[in-house]
Order: sequence, then C-alpha cells, then structure tokens
Amino acid sequence: MIAGIMPQAEFVHWWFATGFLMLGLVLFAEALVGPEVWGMRPWRKYIWPGLCFVMGIFMWPVMTFFTNSAIHMVAHGSWAEFLMFCGAAELGVARGKLHSQYWRLASSLALIVSGTAFLVHEQNAWLFSRAAFLHHTAGWTALVFAAFPLALAFRPRSMFAASGFAAFFIVLAVMLYCDRDIAPIFGHFSQFAGVPHR
Amino acid sequence: MRRALLVAVLAALALPATAFAHASLKKESPSFGQELHVSPRQVVLQFDQTVQALPKSIQVLTPDGRDLAGKPRAVTAQRQIVASVPRLPKGAYTIRWQAISNDGHIVSGVYTFGVRVKAPPVTSAVGAQGPTSTENVVRWLYFVSLALLVGGLGFRLLIVRGPLPPRAQRRFFWVTGIGAVALLQVGIVAFLLRGEDMLQLPFSLFIYGDLSPLASGTRFGQTFIAMTLGFVLVTAFLYLAWLLDRVWPLWVAFGLGLFFASGLSLSGHSAADAGHSWVSELADWVHLTSAMLWVGGLLMLLVVIWPGAPELRRTAFLRFSKLATVLVALLLAAGTYLSILRFPNVHDLWTTGYGHVLLIKLSLVALALLWGAAHHFVAAPRLAAGDGGTLFGRLSRSMLGESTVAMAVLLAAAFLVNTNPPPQPSPRAPVAAHVTRR
Repeated sequence: MIAGIMPQAEFVHWWFATGFLMLGLVLFAEALVGPEVWGMRPWRKYIWPGLCFVMGIFMWPVMTFFTNSAIHMVAHGSWAEFLMFCGAAELGVARGKLHSQYWRLASSLALIVSGTAFLVHEQNAWLFSRAAFLHHTAGWTALVFAAFPLALAFRPRSMFAASGFAAFFIVLAVMLYCDRDIAPIFGHFSQFAGVPHR
Repeated sequence: MRRALLVAVLAALALPATAFAHASLKKESPSFGQELHVSPRQVVLQFDQTVQALPKSIQVLTPDGRDLAGKPRAVTAQRQIVASVPRLPKGAYTIRWQAISNDGHIVSGVYTFGVRVKAPPVTSAVGAQGPTSTENVVRWLYFVSLALLVGGLGFRLLIVRGPLPPRAQRRFFWVTGIGAVALLQVGIVAFLLRGEDMLQLPFSLFIYGDLSPLASGTRFGQTFIAMTLGFVLVTAFLYLAWLLDRVWPLWVAFGLGLFFASGLSLSGHSAADAGHSWVSELADWVHLTSAMLWVGGLLMLLVVIWPGAPELRRTAFLRFSKLATVLVALLLAAGTYLSILRFPNVHDLWTTGYGHVLLIKLSLVALALLWGAAHHFVAAPRLAAGDGGTLFGRLSRSMLGESTVAMAVLLAAAFLVNTNPPPQPSPRAPVAAHVTRR
C-alpha cells in the first residue's frame, strides 16, 4: 500500500530543491536590502525560518518511507532534524523568544551536520558518477559555507556573510535539481543507465 | 583556467549517472510476505540498476536453516538475479539476498514467504534472534520519553491549567522538549536495532541493508512510521505553543500524543497474540496512557513545580493526587484484564519467563502504589489542612523515591513487551515440513 502512494525519488529531490531555491532567494533579498528594510514588514522575518522548519517536517516522511538503505535513512533523519532545529532557532530569535545572537550558530551547526551526513552516506569516489560527484560537492559546500552563518552570528549586518549564506541554498538547489540521470539540468547523459526508465 | 574548470565540472556531471548510489530491490518473486498455493520454481530479484551475483546471492532457508536455493545468476541486462528452488513443501521460508551493486557495494536484504501457510513476519526470519537486552533498554528509554512528553502535556493541561510562572514555564518546555526529541531519536535507534537483528549482517554491510520489508511489511515497522510522523507533529505543536505563548497548540499536541501512543498497543502482544481483539487493544492503550500520565505527572511535580513554582505546590499536588487515583484504577483494571488474557493457566506465572518478568513488574507496581497511597492518605490531607514548610522538603525526596520506582516499573514493562507470553493451548501440533528435490 505504501509503495503505491510513494512518489518517485527524483520528484522528492526536486521538491526539496524548489524549497531550497525559495529559501536562498528570500535570504538573498534580505541580504540585498538589509535587515532594517526587510524588517519593515514584521511577517517577512518569519519567511525563511518558517520555510526551513516546515521543510524539516516534510523531510521526516522521506526518512521513514525510503528505507531501502539504513545509511540513507539515517542521513535523511539528520537533515530533517537539523532543518527543524535551524528553523526553530531562527524563528525563536525572530519572535524575540531567544535573545542571544549566538542562537544564529544553529544554522552553522545545521550546515556542518548536513554536510557531514552528505559525505558519510556517499561512499563512492568523487568521479564515480554524477550522483557521487554531487554528493561530495554538496557535502563540502555545506561544510565550507557553514562559515557564513558562523560569521553572521558575530557580524549580523554583514552583507557578504548574509549573501554567502543565501548562496549556499541556491547552489544546493541546483545540485539537487541535477543529481539524477533524468534531471532537468544536464539531462540524461549516462549510457550505463540505458533508456530513461521513468 | 576558468574554461577548463567548467569543462571538468560538466564532464564529471556527464559521467555514468546510475540513479542514486547503490542498487535497490524493485520487485521480487515470491514477493514480501506472500502466501503461495504452490511451490515457486525459482526466486527472481529485480533491481533498479545492474548488479552482479555472488555465490550466496539468494538463499532460500527452511525454518531449521537449510539453504534450498540453486546457484544464483544475473540475467536480463544484469538487472535480475535468479535462482532455482526444488519443490517446496508446505511451510514458511526465509529469503536472504545479497548482490554487488555497480557502485561496488554489497546490498543485502531479507524477507519471508509461505507455501500454503501464512508467511511469518520478517522479524521472525531464520537467523533473527529476537529482541536483545539493548533493545529492552531502548524500549525503556522510549517509555520514559513518552512519559515526559505525553505525561508532561497532560499534567500541564489537566493539573496546572492556568498560567505558569516564567521559571516553571521554561522548565516545562525543556522537559517536554527533551521528551519529544528523545522519543524521535530512540524510535530510530529501536528501528535500526530491529533491522540489524533481522538482517544479521556485519555493520559494514548493514549500513547498505534494505530495511523496507521491516518498515512496510511488519506491524513494528508500520508503527515506527506512524509514530515517528505523529510525534514529529506533536513536537511541532509543542514548539508552536512555546513560540506563540498559546495553550491551544498544547491541546493539539496532547491529543495527537495520546492518539499516536496507540501505535504501541496496535503493534504489541495485545494486537498480535492469540485472543486479541479491539477490547485488548483498547485495554493496552488505557494501560499505557494511564502509566504515562501517572509517571509523567510525578516527574513534572518533581522537576517543574517543586523548584519552579513553589506557590503552586499545594494545589498541584492535591489535584494530581486525585487524578492519580483515577489513573491507578484504570491502570490496574486494564492490567488485570490483559494478564488474564495472556495467561491460559495461573501456574504460567511462576513457570514461564514472561510470568517471572510480570511478577517482578507487579512487585514494583505494588511498591509504587504503597508509596502513592502514603502520599494520598497521609501527605495530601496535611497539605489540604494548610500544613507546609518542612513537609514540602520531605515530599520532594519522597516523590523522587516514587519516581525511581516508577522508572523501574517502566523498565520491567519494557522487558515484558519484548518477551513472548506463554503459548495458548493449541488443538493440534504443527506438521513438520520435509523437502523433496526435483
């Protein structure tokens, strides 16, 4: 019964890619206009953390329904938890429930854990396949870009740090859009994969 | 330089993109948990990408562990592995499979099927050894987390209905939040431990093991899915209550918590063993939720009210004392009914392992009840009469003692859940299967 209602895995990747793209664009907009202008409408403060938190909730079904490998299950679980954690901490700061600016470190921690999960659950070498290459790239990108939210915790007005943080989500979205052999970006190149099977 | 980098990236992306990492089983014959009317001639495993067969790629195991499968071979563009089997007599069989994925990793899995009998759950596959002591401890942690979360919410909504002082409010959200996070983590650990036992693989192979037969083909797995998703929602509403300073999300979280706690009752002895019915499932749920509310309430008194809201100690204690009486009555009534159901003979209490664990649990429950009775009949009247001061200090230590005993009761309950009850009397002994080679 469950198998009958499960979407194809690539669709799930593209849905999350769309979510990350939206996250990135919202963060970019905030970085460009600055926190003061962005905060002129109070609801705007809640957009990206709220989206992040909701994406975390939606990642849980991915963890529970795609159980054909234990390590993928654990990786998806860690992304679900840290998306929720990051969104929850930022929402708390935006709402004024959390007062310390160091709660912003939650985003940095989330990127470090997510990047590590990408690298640990991808056991192949970089150039083994497109998926392997993109998993390694996504993992290292998350680890390197974790420096931006770390900088934001200490320099909240830094446009450079805010833009870097936003760029991470856009880069991740592009990676998720093209990590399958029938991807919208770079298409179906593989001879090994045969004809597109879906 | 920039152009070379771009070309390198495009070339890497164009390299063989064989779906995602390693191969997954897409279709199999016989299928998971299938009950066949005639013996299959062969076992066919179809993967989503090319695979290589290993000498033991397909094992068809009898209950006594004999492998009946012929030599496995990869066919149909290397996406299928096939092995012939002799004519199988009536009985239950386990298929253990392994294949080399084209990423070089070994992917593995296990499932069961039956020939003219119902297939056993995959957790009872040949080689699986059943719950270990680690699983018992993990289940205990699950119970404790459930008590912190659901019991804590119940206490907040039913006992301390008004606003809490900020310090107590903070403590309440810390305690229930820890319960919520722990519940999700412990649930995942419990699922992985059961999967490890089912697959019987070393860790390096287990991480690529296929857990989908456990997730979708067993009550345990379906409960894991439902309870995980349900308690994610509970966590989200708990968080919303904290963020918005509103009480209504707590009610939603509490309702969802009580509802999804039923997953344990719908997957345990009361739903699967002989004599089960909707009454036994309901009784199990009442037993479980009463225990959670009782233990969770005690812990909230001890950790939230006593240190965080001294002005509410008297009211909270007296109200909880009344609620605890009702909870204990429900707990005992449901527990007695379930014991009668699970014990065909009274002597099973002292002649079976299940009986021994139940006796230990009953002794601990009796101790906790005596402790609770002392609170109800000695401490509560004194508090109602306006006594306080040193009594509050002594009550704090006394509640710590009662909570410790309650934790021990939950530990005994965890062992009890993972122990098989005594068998119900059967009219006929099962016929042993024997194998004829074609």
